[in-house]
Amino acid sequence: MSTTTLRVRNAPGFRVDAAQLLPGALAALTVAEIGRIVLPAGNERCAAGDMFDIERRQADSGGHAVSLLIEGDVPWLDRLGAHLAQGRIEVRGSSGDHTGFRMTGGELRVDGNSGDFTGCQMSGGRLTVGGQSGDFAAGPLPGDMEGMTGGTLTIHGKTGARLGDRMRRGLVLVGGDAGECAASRLVAGTIGIAGTLGPHFGYGMRRGTLLLLQAPASLPPTFSDGGQGFDVFWALFVRSLAAEIAPFSTLKESALPRRYTGDLAVDGRGELLVVG
Amino acid sequence: MQINDTLIDDTFAEAFPMKATRLVITAHTPVWANHAAQSLTGFATSVIGCGCEAGIERELSSHETPDGRPGVAVLLFAVSTKELAKQVERRVGQCVLTCPSTAVYSGIDPATSRAPLSDNAPLGSSLRFFGDGWQISKMLGDTRYWRVPVMDGEFVAAESTVTVKAVGGGNLLLLARDTDAALRVAESAVHAMRRLPNVIMPFPGGVVRSGSKVGSKYAAAPASTNDAFCPTLVGLSPKSELDAEVGCVLEIVIDGLTDSDVGAAMTAGITAAAGFGRAGGVLRISAGNYGGRLGPYHFHLRQLAAGVEGRRA
Repeated sequence: MSTTTLRVRNAPGFRVDAAQLLPGALAALTVAEIGRIVLPAGNERCAAGDMFDIERRQADSGGHAVSLLIEGDVPWLDRLGAHLAQGRIEVRGSSGDHTGFRMTGGELRVDGNSGDFTGCQMSGGRLTVGGQSGDFAAGPLPGDMEGMTGGTLTIHGKTGARLGDRMRRGLVLVGGDAGECAASRLVAGTIGIAGTLGPHFGYGMRRGTLLLLQAPASLPPTFSDGGQGFDVFWALFVRSLAAEIAPFSTLKESALPRRYTGDLAVDGRGELLVVG
Repeated sequence: MQINDTLIDDTFAEAFPMKATRLVITAHTPVWANHAAQSLTGFATSVIGCGCEAGIERELSSHETPDGRPGVAVLLFAVSTKELAKQVERRVGQCVLTCPSTAVYSGIDPATSRAPLSDNAPLGSSLRFFGDGWQISKMLGDTRYWRVPVMDGEFVAAESTVTVKAVGGGNLLLLARDTDAALRVAESAVHAMRRLPNVIMPFPGGVVRSGSKVGSKYAAAPASTNDAFCPTLVGLSPKSELDAEVGCVLEIVIDGLTDSDVGAAMTAGITAAAGFGRAGGVLRISAGNYGGRLGPYHFHLRQLAAGVEGRRA
């Protein structure tokens, strides 16, 4: 239907909450009305029109229903795509913290880097970061019991500490390295990491799957050998990753990974799959 | 209407709404997938005494199954979603879970199903308890799978199976000169019908010789022999629709996901049977109904046979 473009004109010099900038809501407004949207910025407030040049373009038929395009780096723009339920947001640059916070559907793509808490408590949709993300991706807010509970988070580059902390459902794929405590306190869900891992991965992991494409230097002492006989699940798993990013899309059904189970200090039904 | 001198009765088959599901059973080899499918669809000829009607729809190559292994598609039909769920749980639990190397998946795609969708029936979600707490689940895409530890590794089952509003009880009556001719024709008709998707013929070999009518002189019996088509009752039963030339009648019952699937299978059966013609021992092709009062689906034989090739009279 229509694409709303926000082209960065002036970075405000402080952090701005972009939760109101959802494609469905913007599509119902005129360009002038979008410019008058007042966004919270800590103790300050600022109008969208002060930061962006705003443009509206009707999409070709067959395009995404409604979409929002942000051109330029906006690392100062937090909570972009928060509570996104439908439509598409694309950032041609980097985004701030809490990108995709509690999104339930739709698609959010950041070409550059994203800040801390990327995909925090998201429950649906697809969030893609072309660069790297900060700490606590797919995790909960501090003090909350559940992190990500659905959807797909793909980070092409590396990610910071505490990836997938308390995650319960969904798929997270990291094309680069992960910081310390990846998959800590994982309740369930799937995390794949193509690069290297920081220390204490799988700490307190109860269930879920941690797929590693590079063997870690050592396993946590609370993980044990996971045995054999999971080839049917592996075939289903590999097929489900066929449309995701490389190298996950290139996994072979015939190349069974080494399986470990843990964290035995807690429930112990989590699995660590080490390919190669 | 006559085709190759075989009389096509001016009557119709009367069929009923049922609930159905397709299960895809895979295994390490086709042999073991077939073992599981044969076992699951055993003792499932009629809802009257078996709880459901079930049969093997077709074998699946490794390119057609969710896990890339050879498999078998089976269809199950029951009178209600509740009964269907009960039968799925019981039969998969006893016949697939137990069979080495097997896995089971829902076989109907809601996005492409021509049959109206009904409630999902539990599959792995009820069988998982066999895992005694060691079972784990995994969401892959939109599907949740249960992984139950068993002695050969893991039994993998989709959480639930899609059910649809289907059609059961399509039928053909093949009136032949003798048993040889009747069996030969029935086998040929069933063979032709099994080439079609979305249908099963649930009786042994796809054929039933004990066609029934509703009710009985005995109060406890819900159904009894179809005396109108019993050759030994010619001249005895006032309802007899046979003459002395008919020596054997066999029936083919068809359950399908949609009425068009059942109609297509009946047409295939008529084509195969009429191909033998009177010279091949097929005297008449008829169908069973209850006067059109009970079932909403009426399959008129002469309409189905309108396009069948053969010598007309």
